Amino acid sequence: MERAIVLAASAIGAGLSMIAGIGPGIGQGYAAGKAAEAVGRQPEAKGDITSTMLFGCAVAESTGIYGLVVAMILLFANPLIGKL
Amino acid sequence: MAVEITGPKVLFTIGPVVVTNTIVTSWVIIALIVAVCYWLTKDLKPVPETKKQIVAEKLVSMVYDLTDSTMGKKWRNFAPYVAALFAYSFVSSMSGLTGVRAPTSDLSIILAMALVTFTMIQVTGIKAKGFWGHFKKFLNPLNLISEIATPVSMTFRHFGNIAAGVVITTLLYAALAYFSTVILNLIPISFIQQIPVLQVGLPAFLSIYFDVFTSFLQAYIFIMLTMVYVSMAED
Amino acid sequence: MPNTYLDLVSFVPWTLIFTWLNLFILYSLIKKFLFKPVNNMLEQRKNEINTMYETAQQAQTNAEEMEKEYSERMAQAREEAGEIIKQATLSAQRREQEIISDAQEKAAIMTKRAEAEIAQERKKAYQEIKNEISDISVAIAGKMVQREISAADHEALISQFIENVGEV
Repeated sequence: MERAIVLAASAIGAGLSMIAGIGPGIGQGYAAGKAAEAVGRQPEAKGDITSTMLFGCAVAESTGIYGLVVAMILLFANPLIGKL
Repeated sequence: MAVEITGPKVLFTIGPVVVTNTIVTSWVIIALIVAVCYWLTKDLKPVPETKKQIVAEKLVSMVYDLTDSTMGKKWRNFAPYVAALFAYSFVSSMSGLTGVRAPTSDLSIILAMALVTFTMIQVTGIKAKGFWGHFKKFLNPLNLISEIATPVSMTFRHFGNIAAGVVITTLLYAALAYFSTVILNLIPISFIQQIPVLQVGLPAFLSIYFDVFTSFLQAYIFIMLTMVYVSMAED
Repeated sequence: MPNTYLDLVSFVPWTLIFTWLNLFILYSLIKKFLFKPVNNMLEQRKNEINTMYETAQQAQTNAEEMEKEYSERMAQAREEAGEIIKQATLSAQRREQEIISDAQEKAAIMTKRAEAEIAQERKKAYQEIKNEISDISVAIAGKMVQREISAADHEALISQFIENVGEV
């Protein structure tokens, strides 16, 4: 019974932790929009803008990735079951 | 239908030494990289005669350009480490395409790479500012936390991206196997029902993003962050 | 323990140590097999290009020197040729002058001589005619007049006559 509760709570927790994906989604969309604006203004700097944007996006993705890692820990390497 | 998503597999143990399949794959990858390097630079001539020599020169000059532009000319000795780190990370992530477990989807391996960067940051800081000069900023606990967060965030960023690819690819394969059995159950021959026809071709599109694009991007970000953090530790 | 699967998010210290070793080995091997040969080759290429440039520079300097020398020599030769032609022209002109003046002199001498000869001839002829006329006239006069005439009168008459003849 306790185990079932822990598993259910872990699954819910994993789902909730993926809410962290909202932040990077908004942030990366904003960055991509700005990059599109920049390319529109200066098409000759397209290569630089793209690489800078990808780098920034990948760094901004960290928070979302943390959420993903927490979700994966809860789903596939649950540390809470051992505490029962 | 149960889908097992697991981590690296322990291949064998020698006494207390645990060898996982990701480490064995790493050895193969290192041998491959070194073999390619050896082949590329086998007979170099001042006047290039072969295409592979141009490739070798281009590779070296690209790494040097990257370190020069992000770290400055005095960090030229750092270029081989950057090249090694990038090649290892990129080829490891790409090896997921062949079906083996990518070494970069093993948390321990990424953590080791990030800890090397962390050590380099500390050593560079101590070299530039002296022992006390480097460590006095940790009297502020926020600095200490951000310093420790550096390798942790590097580790989880790289690991999370590759592991997410592994998880999604595994789930996709399982789903495709399930759907193909559903479709093939219409044919009443049990042998044919076992063939997962939908697994052919379809995952390739996902692989382009998760294995090729993400591999390159994460390897690039890892070396960029390493270079930026190490050269920033000087001042 | 063998053939067991670890969790997706798991940590094995031995993997950490292996990865450090791997990274160090990969770093040294990449340095040895990619960076060192390429750098050596680039150094070699640099040296070769430097020597090439030096050789080319030297060759160019040599060529320039040679060109200068040649042009100097050419100018000298041209000058000499001009001098020679000038002298030749001068001597030819001189010679021409000499020849002309010589010829003129000779011609003058010849003319003079011819004139002298003519004069002499004329004198001679004159003398001869005079003699003959005097003889003939004496003979004619002797025959026609048959009288004694003094030799002096005779002579005077003849001279007068001849003078008149000579003036004709």
